[in-house]
Amino acid sequence: MSALTTFIKSLVITAVIVLVGGGLFLYSGLYPMGADVPHNRLTYWLLETLRERSVARAASDIKLPGDLNAPERLLAGGADYNDMCAGCHLKPGKTQSDFTLGLYPAPPNLTLAGDKHGHEHADNTENDDPAIKRQFWIIKHGIKASGMPAWGPGHDDERIWNMVAFLQRLPRLTAEQYQILTARSNSSVEHGH
Amino acid sequence: MKTKRFTPIIALAALGIALSAQAHDPKEHMKDAEKPDCAAMKNMDHSKMDMNDPVMQAMMKQCMNDMHHNDSEKDQAQADHQDNEKSSGEQHSEHQH
Ligand code: HEC
Ligand SMILES: [Cu+2]
Repeated sequence: MSALTTFIKSLVITAVIVLVGGGLFLYSGLYPMGADVPHNRLTYWLLETLRERSVARAASDIKLPGDLNAPERLLAGGADYNDMCAGCHLKPGKTQSDFTLGLYPAPPNLTLAGDKHGHEHADNTENDDPAIKRQFWIIKHGIKASGMPAWGPGHDDERIWNMVAFLQRLPRLTAEQYQILTARSNSSVEHGH
Repeated sequence: MKTKRFTPIIALAALGIALSAQAHDPKEHMKDAEKPDCAAMKNMDHSKMDMNDPVMQAMMKQCMNDMHHNDSEKDQAQADHQDNEKSSGEQHSEHQH
């Protein structure tokens, strides 16, 4: 037997062992699925990499609107954030909720800037363009097998951009500023917002 | 067929999405809406207030709306506001410099 055939044979045998072993492990039911047991490092790394690469690719074509700094966006996005997101992603003065304690992966605390909210991802230092696109994509499409819902069904892009605009300011808001920005004043109803 | 078992789950999920889409109309939230605590603005450090800061502008807007409503010129305020909505594109460019 030539060295090459031996090499190929052992390669095939290794592949079969890995496949069978993996299959047995899968069916054995040994992997802990409860949200209260964290993933091991390998699974964690695999899932994080899968998520970040997928989101980065899908979000790369998104075009940012030119008026993300408009105060109107902050008001509209703030009210929506407070109603739909603060339970999981917190607000100034709150450091935990039942959702942050119980969900796995835990919802990041969005009142902290990207580099401080407790997990690793690309563009996590400054709110630069890729980070903003990433946020928009995640809010619109959600993240599989995590608590993060897709908000695209039921909310148009403008409304999602408003929340993205608000998120850029959120880490620097005081509790008082947050209250004023997120309140839905009755006056705005009559004006037809 | 195993897939049949998922049909009710998918139906439920679709129903959930349909219901929640309605619930997310901003007007639906009004019932338990909080009023902005504009009094808190008076206690903020005025020396640090920057009128070019969008957060500041947004807070002013929020609290101005509130005050307009105690005005006698209610109609005037309303007309102003609707105008703002339409021309918001131009408004933004103004705010940028
Ligand atoms: C039921 C809880 C829950 C709700 C409600 C929720 N999220 Fe999330 N969100 C999550 C979880 C969990 C993650 C993390 C997913 C992961 O790490 O894979 C997440 C991730 C995110 C991220 C990515 C954060 C980062 O820097 O990695 C953004 C942005 C986000 N959510 C925005 C929102 C917005 C905006 C809303 C409201 C419209 C919202 N979420 C509502 C649970 C929630
Ligand atoms: Cu993050």
